[in-house]
Amino acid sequence: MSNSAVALNNYLIVGGLLFTLGLVGFLSRRNLIVMFLCAEMMLQGVSVTLVGFSGYHSTWSGQIFAVFSLAVAAAEAAVAMALIVVLFHRGDSLDVSLWQDLHEPDQPTLVDEQIVDEPVPEPQWPHLAVAGPLPTHPQPLTATHRQLDSTEVGRG
Amino acid sequence: MHPHEILMAALGQCLAAFTGEMHAGLAPLFAWAGGAGLGGDPGLRDRLLGVVLNRDVFGYIVRTFLILLPAGLGVYLMLPRGLPSKQPQYRRVGAALAAFSLVLICVWPVSEKISGGAPRTVLWLLSGWGGSAEFYLLGIVSLASAVLTITSRNPVYSALWFSLVLLANAGLYLIQHAEFLAAATAIVYAGAILVTFLFVLMLAQPQGAASYDRVSREPFLACLTGLLLAGVLLGTIHYSTSVEAIPNAAKQSVRPTAALARTQMTTARETSALVDYAQPHVANLGKSLFQEHFVSIEIVGVLLLAAVVGAMLIAGHTSESPR
Repeated sequence: MSNSAVALNNYLIVGGLLFTLGLVGFLSRRNLIVMFLCAEMMLQGVSVTLVGFSGYHSTWSGQIFAVFSLAVAAAEAAVAMALIVVLFHRGDSLDVSLWQDLHEPDQPTLVDEQIVDEPVPEPQWPHLAVAGPLPTHPQPLTATHRQLDSTEVGRG
Repeated sequence: MHPHEILMAALGQCLAAFTGEMHAGLAPLFAWAGGAGLGGDPGLRDRLLGVVLNRDVFGYIVRTFLILLPAGLGVYLMLPRGLPSKQPQYRRVGAALAAFSLVLICVWPVSEKISGGAPRTVLWLLSGWGGSAEFYLLGIVSLASAVLTITSRNPVYSALWFSLVLLANAGLYLIQHAEFLAAATAIVYAGAILVTFLFVLMLAQPQGAASYDRVSREPFLACLTGLLLAGVLLGTIHYSTSVEAIPNAAKQSVRPTAALARTQMTTARETSALVDYAQPHVANLGKSLFQEHFVSIEIVGVLLLAAVVGAMLIAGHTSESPR
């Protein structure tokens, strides 16, 4: 009894913390893909809780519920990825703030903090040692082809 | 006795002593806080102290807040806030705070009722209970990776940390004898869903570090919301599992809530409903899934089909729509 109760306690704590971290990420991040990752993390927290209860009660119900939530998560991911691709093609950005004109008309527009884009650093390519003499350039075939064509035309 | 068991026992003893000291040390701290902040009113101070240290659910929630406060602050410091030069310092301080809170969660005292005997911390059980060390390893990996998932500035790193969360969760499922679910999580989530995420990420990622990845929206309010939710949730969980005993189906042969339904069932099905660890688990899970939950399986299949058709309809529409 004691060990299983402690195990249930631990699983519920891990599940609750995963759910909470997913919620915090969903509320604060602005990248659409990271937001959906956080939604999946909330589902993972629920699954951990269900599996903990399943082990505690020694029944299959929790595991079966977790299997169903896995299937629903897969369906959700498929639709979400399709939506993200469409939204990226329309807005050329994964920023969720682009789509805030979907809000209710009496709600104020959210103004995000604007920062400048970081310059992309030039990639540092490695210097490779020369592995041998430069091969001779192959003879272009087009001249002989043209010659053949002209002779055929001349014959015709 | 193995060396790692001795090490774990010694560590557990040290942490148990530490938490005992922590409970004794919290009292004057709160007495001071109550006295300094409230003008030295002894009645109010005693009531405040009583709320923090007493054994009802509110006391549990307040103590949970105290344990989770460094984690909330750490996550707030680790979230991207558009500070390219000073951000690594903030991130290190935030990571240290979150790790400190994780240690506090691990040494959370378990009440005498469920530990059976003297007050122990959760970690103290490491020495006496096989399988617990794996749980702590996997749980800590899962939670730390979750923090790094939501605080990474590069979404590709977020996806990779999330895959670590999934693999650690699969290990947690294995500890609870959920082999099929562990395999399904590793294959379906970490294999299929996450690869789809990465694929879309590669498809849709603009050049360089995007500005919306480096600044987060209302990080303080989000962390406060998470702190409130986690405090109430975990405080209530800890209270209900340590003070009120949850009815255990393995101990009582028939659960009281399911008693009426169970009398309608056949005895064979009733015996198959309880997990028998001598039988192969996946076969029993499949039997239960396809006998008792047959209609649900069909509905989930239709749901997946509808989702796939819908996804193709949505994503296939892009080539015709004007950009």
